[in-house]
Amino acid sequence: MPFQQGSARTRQRTVLLVGIVLLLATLVLAVVLASLLTHGKHEDSPKMLKWKDRGTTKNLQEVILGRCYNYITERYPELGDKDCLKIWESLKDAFIYKNPCNITTEDYQPLMELASHPIPCNKSLFWSKTNDLVHRYTKSNQNFLTLEDTLLGYMADRISWCGDPSAPGINYESCPKRSECESNPSSVFWKMASKMFAEAACGVVQVMLNGSIEAGAFRSTSIFGSIEVFNLNPDKVSEVHIWVMHDIGGPQSESCSGHSIQRLKNILEERNFKIICEDNYRPVQLLQCVHNPDHTDCRLCTNSTAVP
Amino acid sequence: MMMSLFLPLLLVSVLFMSSFSEVQGRKWKGEGTTQNLESIAIGRCYDYIRIVNPAVGEKNCSEIWEAFKSAFINKDPCSILPEDYELFINLSLHTIPANKSLFWENNQLLVNSFADRGRRYMSVGDTLFGFFGDFLNWCGQANSSGLDYESCPTTMECETNAVDSFWRMASITYAKHSSGEIHVLLNGSAVGGAYPQPSFFADYEIPNLQKDKISQIVIWVVDDIEGPDLDSCGIHSVKILETRLKTLGYNVTCIDNYKSVVFLLCLDYPDNSKCAVPSF
Repeated sequence: MPFQQGSARTRQRTVLLVGIVLLLATLVLAVVLASLLTHGKHEDSPKMLKWKDRGTTKNLQEVILGRCYNYITERYPELGDKDCLKIWESLKDAFIYKNPCNITTEDYQPLMELASHPIPCNKSLFWSKTNDLVHRYTKSNQNFLTLEDTLLGYMADRISWCGDPSAPGINYESCPKRSECESNPSSVFWKMASKMFAEAACGVVQVMLNGSIEAGAFRSTSIFGSIEVFNLNPDKVSEVHIWVMHDIGGPQSESCSGHSIQRLKNILEERNFKIICEDNYRPVQLLQCVHNPDHTDCRLCTNSTAVP
Repeated sequence: MMMSLFLPLLLVSVLFMSSFSEVQGRKWKGEGTTQNLESIAIGRCYDYIRIVNPAVGEKNCSEIWEAFKSAFINKDPCSILPEDYELFINLSLHTIPANKSLFWENNQLLVNSFADRGRRYMSVGDTLFGFFGDFLNWCGQANSSGLDYESCPTTMECETNAVDSFWRMASITYAKHSSGEIHVLLNGSAVGGAYPQPSFFADYEIPNLQKDKISQIVIWVVDDIEGPDLDSCGIHSVKILETRLKTLGYNVTCIDNYKSVVFLLCLDYPDNSKCAVPSF
């Protein structure tokens, strides 16, 4: 670089400085604009109603569609005629852009019709307060089906959704808890699906109850106690088998001879169902022992040998 | 008499021609690509990151699907190598918690139940990359961007097919990222030995275990409840496995008929004497 005169150097320096200042000013302006825009975006979503429970599961559409096709492929190929896209659309239409405290059974009617399918007799397995155990059981033993093993339940299990009147119509931030309003998308869905599941049952039906909880194994406020029991069809269902399970090493708060079970038996007898009750139904207890193999209650008659 | 011969001959030749043309239509002997593969796979990916194991964080499931497809689309379906899935693996990889790895042979459904969808153990099918492809089938075709839904090559027809190479890559990756106390569940009633060779475990998993990350290898040899006791710790193929692992420098423990697993098998045979529990 040729050596420059003093004044030319000063001019050059000034130009450089001005250039840097301009660049900095542009950067600052850009940052301010960007923050204003995103702040503006955040201003939009507060228009959505705020609730206490977790929001709609992200990528709900992909998850629902995938589960629908997966269920048909893996579990129930005979349902090959089900249109999963239509099923997704009918689920979306049930809640999108609606106030999530105003959901009705009519909203879900198209979905229920599209996704329902027959249940083989003698396989329906109801449950109350035994979520983990009952589903580990049906996963390991294909003899029984819970609601969550039917297409509708399989798609919706562990997922949440709710809408909002303002765009984009789906609330991913929060959804109403039952305590905030009863007619929320989730509660209405599960109540309706449970009713249909009970109505579809035939032959011998089973119910797994928790004999280790203080509040009682059978509660009239549970979905089983308030909806399913009353929607079993006496013309289709012949017998109800009750399994009262105790936690391994847990309290035996109630058993087949307990008060709440007696209440359940009365309700069922009144509707002309034959009842069999069993404490700690063997196969399910074996499943409990998988997690407690060394508990004294789980000692096998034949011992295993460890080879060092 | 000519007429009475003619008709059966005609019938036979028509049947022969139609079955011949059917064979002509199917390129390969194996089942074709699973219907709705893209929706199922992408759905599973989001299901995994949102519900099954949100601890893995944010993943771009569309990108993962594209990377998966690029391994075998527009190629001769008998020319797919494990390395072709490298991009897919890089995008879908996540930590496998220490002490949770569960290797297996000849007992997939049992392992599925026992692992409890990653809550008790994380088998390869409980990782994102394994969950993505489990129980599915796929292949492409040369000079076409489409999936072949009619037929796909079996392992017998060619080993370097899309599905086998996928599982080889998945097995390699799974083994490389396993740490702590690792478990292997083997079937003591399997014909051909509890530790089969060749197998994914023998050829792709053991060679890729990272010795410095593994504290112990626990082998469980469990017989089918109503099956024969063909193999056990210390004998036959299991002895070969134990020797191989010890020679490689691992701490090895072997247990016959590990109780937890026996209880699980007993679900289908609650009245079998092997499942008798005095306190029940």
